[in-house]
Amino acid sequence: MSKPEPFTRPEEEQDMPAATQRPYWLGAGVAAIGAIWLYQATSLPQRSQYAQIGPGFFVSIVGIALVILGVLLIWQIHRGEIFEAQGTEDADPDAEASWPALGLTVAAAILPLLTIDFLGFPATAALMFLLVTRAFGSRRYLINAVIGVAFGLICWFGFSALGVQLGDLFPVMGL
Amino acid sequence: MDALNSLLTGFGVALQPINLFWAFIGTALGTAIGVLPGIGPALTIALLLPVTVYIEPTAAFIMFAGILYGAMYGGSTTSILLNTPGESGSMMTALEGNKMAKSGRGAAALATAAIGSFVAGTMATIALTFLAPAIAELAFIFGPEDYFALIVLAFTSVSVVMGASRVRGFIALFIGLAMGVVGIDGQTGQARLSFGVPGLLDGIDITLVLVSLFAVGETFYVASRFSKTPPNFNPLAGGASMSREDWSRSWKPWLRGTFIGFPIGALPAGGSEIPTFLSYTLERRLSKKPEEFGHGAIEGVAGPEAANNASAAGVLVPLLTLGLPTSATAAILLAAFQNYGLQPGPLLFINSGDLVWGLIASLYVGNLMLVVLNLPLVGLWVRLLLIPRPYLYAGILIFALVGIWGISNSWIDLLLMVMIGLMGYVMRVYDFPIAPVLIGLILGPMAETELRRALAISQGDPLVLVSSPIAATMLALSLAVFVVPLVLKYLRSSEEADAEHAGETR
Repeated sequence: MSKPEPFTRPEEEQDMPAATQRPYWLGAGVAAIGAIWLYQATSLPQRSQYAQIGPGFFVSIVGIALVILGVLLIWQIHRGEIFEAQGTEDADPDAEASWPALGLTVAAAILPLLTIDFLGFPATAALMFLLVTRAFGSRRYLINAVIGVAFGLICWFGFSALGVQLGDLFPVMGL
Repeated sequence: MDALNSLLTGFGVALQPINLFWAFIGTALGTAIGVLPGIGPALTIALLLPVTVYIEPTAAFIMFAGILYGAMYGGSTTSILLNTPGESGSMMTALEGNKMAKSGRGAAALATAAIGSFVAGTMATIALTFLAPAIAELAFIFGPEDYFALIVLAFTSVSVVMGASRVRGFIALFIGLAMGVVGIDGQTGQARLSFGVPGLLDGIDITLVLVSLFAVGETFYVASRFSKTPPNFNPLAGGASMSREDWSRSWKPWLRGTFIGFPIGALPAGGSEIPTFLSYTLERRLSKKPEEFGHGAIEGVAGPEAANNASAAGVLVPLLTLGLPTSATAAILLAAFQNYGLQPGPLLFINSGDLVWGLIASLYVGNLMLVVLNLPLVGLWVRLLLIPRPYLYAGILIFALVGIWGISNSWIDLLLMVMIGLMGYVMRVYDFPIAPVLIGLILGPMAETELRRALAISQGDPLVLVSSPIAATMLALSLAVFVVPLVLKYLRSSEEADAEHAGETR
């Protein structure tokens, strides 16, 4: 990567914070979840003999509520609802999102889906460690890799000793 | 004095060396995670849930209580020294506390926060000791319709009170309810919303949701908006101490803060935002030196800190007596009870008296430990902040993986971790409250069960839901929580319109 770390962006891009945009997709997403639940509810009995309301009833209520709330949110957004990112330690809520850093972190979270079955927990954790430290601007790859491997192994042995099953140590080598 | 006798038994349990050890582990861990960014008490307890399989329940809950109280102490330390309130309850503390630290009175701010937390925590625990058994007795006469109404009240108040907008509060709640219906329906055995995935038949684990929303979502969020400015704090050489004047200005705010914090914390709406805010406003009004507010008034630290700790004890009242969680931490504590096959509520006081009273007694012990851990050693805890952020957040994500992969080594859980983590990211960017998701997830199935039970008993007559005075009152209250702010808003805006109109015509 030729870009200097950490990920920064030109000042002028920060003029328009997320708050002034109109994220209609948020409302659409909420309504869509509601629609899925509502659709699934149609295949469940709404009433039952004893309790009068069956297993589908509550699902329908949740689905309808989410659809209504999604539409309400779209309406609010249309009227110019302001969204302010939450403040938290170490984060600057007014900053524009750094997509490369977010992408690397999300990749780290997706990684176990692909690797945990054949690389096992410690190696997967070490790779995640590398990705996240890079996302937070650290470029000392070798040291980070060593710390990552050590951390993964400590977690695996430590939690196994406490009775938490974290799978095989290094499946691809048959361990 | 039934409660006193039970409490003495409780002390017998809490003072056993092994339980003192767990209380120490809990308070130390709690202080540490309170100081560290990105990791809070709810998340810590969630991550410890799988580990506690091998610990007996009493020891586990004594440790959890230590974490809950310890996080409050640690959170106030960072908000005073760094102006970074780790949790919403210490926002008000940061306001005056950080100003005090900047003007060289950090030691006094830390001391009034720690001693105030101790005073408030102890007094609130005394209130809990005598109030909880009485409320638990009351809960015996609760029928299913009353429980249903109570849960509805918790739903509406949590969604209205938390967060910036009611629509977003309710969206968060219903997302939680939606996740709550996934899995096999307990009453008919029918699979719901499992999308043909066997891994979803057991439902979505609350630990998974909590860890994904808090740890994974937080890591995504901080990564995307990481502020590179290193924390600039003044490491205190001495520790925390107060002058005679500080004492005389602090003790009344401590007491007032406790009286505000405990009852509000015990209400179904719960939370620590409102009591700390109320306490701050009150102290500002009552202060003899109101001009100091905004420049580091010690009353503005003492009051809100006491209110914060008292509300944390207050939250335990509905949790222990009714099984009703009103905060994210309480929701995960309820899940922990369920893991042990225990159902908080009136029967818990009878069947597991040792556990409940041991837990309550350990709150006194824990508070004492925390003052000792925090007053002289505060400089030590602050050093935790020197951990490089890349390592801290990489570690948090890996702990999240341990917590989720360790539940059942399930691939679908890992997929849900990414999806719910992304949802947690979006919720932070667009300011949705997160606690209602967890409350909905854990109370939704309970609400459904009670509703169906009530209707089964009444043979389907929906009027049963308002047939008892308790249920009718609760439902009326939940309606009021929802409607009153709307009406007030309408009145205010029409008043303003009238005023404008009058101004124009004049």
